[in-house]
Amino acid sequence: MGKYADDEQWSDVVPLPTDEGGDNPLAAIAYSEEYEETMSYLRAIMAANEYSPRVLDLTEDLIDMNPAHYTVWLYRAQCLFAIDSDLKEELEWLNETALTHQKNYQIWHHRNLIVDKLDQCEGETAFVESMFERDAKNYHVWSYRQWLVRRFGLWDKGELEFTEQMLQRDVRNNSAWNHRWFVVNGQEGAAGVGDPDIRAREMKFAMLAIAKAPQNQSPWNYLRGITKKSGMSLAHLKDFAEQYASLDQPDNIHSSFALDLLADILVEEKNTKQAAQALDLLEKTYDPIRKNYWAYRKEQLGLPAAVA
Amino acid sequence: MTILHEAGPEPRLEKARHIKYWTRCLKTFLPRQYTGNDSNRMYLAYFIISALDLLDALNTVSTGNERRDHVNWIYRCQHPKGGFRMWPGTDLGDRANDTNAKWDPANIPATYFALAALLILDDDFERVKRGQCLLWLQKMQREDGSFGETLVDGVVEGGRDPRLGYCATGVRHILRGSSAEPISIDGQTVRDIDVDSFVRCVRVAESFDGGIADEPFHEPQAGYTFCSLGALAFVGRLNTPDKSNPIEPNAPCDPHNVLKWLLSRQTELTDPDAGLDTEFHTAEEAPNTQHAEGKHVSKENGARDSKPIRQDPYQSVGSSIFDLLVDGAGMNGRTNKVADTCYAFWVGASLDIVGCVTLCNRAGLRRYLLGKTQHGVLGGFGKFPGDLPDLYHSYLGLAALSLAGSDQVKRLDGGMCLSAEARGRLPGLWDAWAVEGPTTT
Ligand SMILES: [Zn+2]
Repeated sequence: MGKYADDEQWSDVVPLPTDEGGDNPLAAIAYSEEYEETMSYLRAIMAANEYSPRVLDLTEDLIDMNPAHYTVWLYRAQCLFAIDSDLKEELEWLNETALTHQKNYQIWHHRNLIVDKLDQCEGETAFVESMFERDAKNYHVWSYRQWLVRRFGLWDKGELEFTEQMLQRDVRNNSAWNHRWFVVNGQEGAAGVGDPDIRAREMKFAMLAIAKAPQNQSPWNYLRGITKKSGMSLAHLKDFAEQYASLDQPDNIHSSFALDLLADILVEEKNTKQAAQALDLLEKTYDPIRKNYWAYRKEQLGLPAAVA
Repeated sequence: MTILHEAGPEPRLEKARHIKYWTRCLKTFLPRQYTGNDSNRMYLAYFIISALDLLDALNTVSTGNERRDHVNWIYRCQHPKGGFRMWPGTDLGDRANDTNAKWDPANIPATYFALAALLILDDDFERVKRGQCLLWLQKMQREDGSFGETLVDGVVEGGRDPRLGYCATGVRHILRGSSAEPISIDGQTVRDIDVDSFVRCVRVAESFDGGIADEPFHEPQAGYTFCSLGALAFVGRLNTPDKSNPIEPNAPCDPHNVLKWLLSRQTELTDPDAGLDTEFHTAEEAPNTQHAEGKHVSKENGARDSKPIRQDPYQSVGSSIFDLLVDGAGMNGRTNKVADTCYAFWVGASLDIVGCVTLCNRAGLRRYLLGKTQHGVLGGFGKFPGDLPDLYHSYLGLAALSLAGSDQVKRLDGGMCLSAEARGRLPGLWDAWAVEGPTTT
């Protein structure tokens, strides 16, 4: 008895149960009867290398219970293409499945495959955005978004504005900051922040975000990334950093990241004594979690311990 | 205020409960909820075996006969043409033939975890199809240097991410040490993987902010950073803040920035529901948000209007020494995310690999693990404070605890994620196979 055993449509298939091989198998799972049955029918039709519409039903069932099964996805894909199945229908099924198994990698890989084959991405960015409604930092979804931008050349079709919207919603969303970096710098042959106008625009964008929430590492990293990629000296950021962390007002520091940046600038300026002061403030007051690191950085300055 | 700084003694590892938790995992069926991980059973097996080893209980909770069965199960998953499967579920038994062979491929992570588990079980590796496995490993590398998960119809399937690169280079490390020259196994010449092109793969995935991602331009993440650094260490091409390899292609390009990124992962933010992501809504959307803990956070813009960070903990990721003493500080996986037990391992082990684990706040990390995510009744660790334990977080929590300096757990080798004692068996195997071992680790 069971869903498949009782189904006329499957009466020609002799199920193939799994053989664990002996006593005391490791990590054995208390499978439900339903899973065990589905699995043994799946094994039977894979053994027969069957490609038919019922393969789609069965793999759908199995994937629902075990989406991490690595060959079932490949089998399903081969079957879809072999029987010339409607790929748009497949996408609709994937929409639901992606919602139930948000952390699964294979689902997104499969989606890539289908959308690539369809050779058009209508509705895809909207779907991605609906996924972000649930989890604005889902790694697979951001990766998929990058793939869409590259595959369909969406670089200047509102992508920069999209990152802006995402950051308006949450200025601390590092995934959105990263995506912005990709949109600006990721296109083959693009100058990115090497272009002075783009650089100015991006620096301004990051600085405004910092003004909103100074104790947010993402835009500080973004600023540093810009200077590094475009070969600028950090000194260009000194005035800006000092708005949030000035050694003249050690009790009035607004951002530990500004203080850290200031320390790096002072090192660049060979002002080791003040750099040590900044690192000392981080160690003792503004970022004590990382006290060992700030102490290590002070050591790297090569000053005698007493100076700090 | 000073009285508050007396935060009490460090919470203890409930060792007996952890042993009980893992013994149950070893000896009884895992609950039905693990069905979604059926195709990951080899790594669940490795967690179970390795956890009991770290707790120094493997040989007391199981008999020699049981351990022999465990070893046999691992070999049950060995592929007839080399490498291992994740579980017996793809083996088509007496219906297997050349046409359906593609649905039963060996799997790269399964192979690494199987070999690692055999090492922990002190197996002699006599039954490992070493030559065939290494020949297959070569075929698992793509033109661009990355490794896949399975080989199906001659195509390397699966992602390109460094998890696969880590497992592939780990298999190479175990089965051929550091021998870059062709070696002879049972009369067959077995060449090495293309190490240079693999290293290039890692280099291009370094992010502008110092972390490492799975692919170029993706967001850096601590798990991928661990896998990248671990793989580089396996192939002897790792740059650390102290030491770079100037001759051969090596990575990461900027080890100091990687170090800083790793240390930036430590955070006192532990509550996934505390609304971190919405905390900094713009003034128009949420002029004044009542914080989950009942504290008003002013959303008026501008640095000059905001209070200095020490006076407003909700605008700060820096916590006071008092917070650290009480709650500890875990690790997150990406910038601006909350702490999660498993990242205590991914970050801690990355730091261990580059020789800098003492630069993080190990006391804070122990407090976080023992006081926040350890399950006081069931043993094991949950993902977040108050969560029920699961195998994945329970194992990585334990491994992280060792790196954080606990003397209740065996010393961990961060690079291989098993006890230093188990890794210590490798030179003996390399000697027996007459292959070179790395000169330094
Ligand atoms: Zn986790």
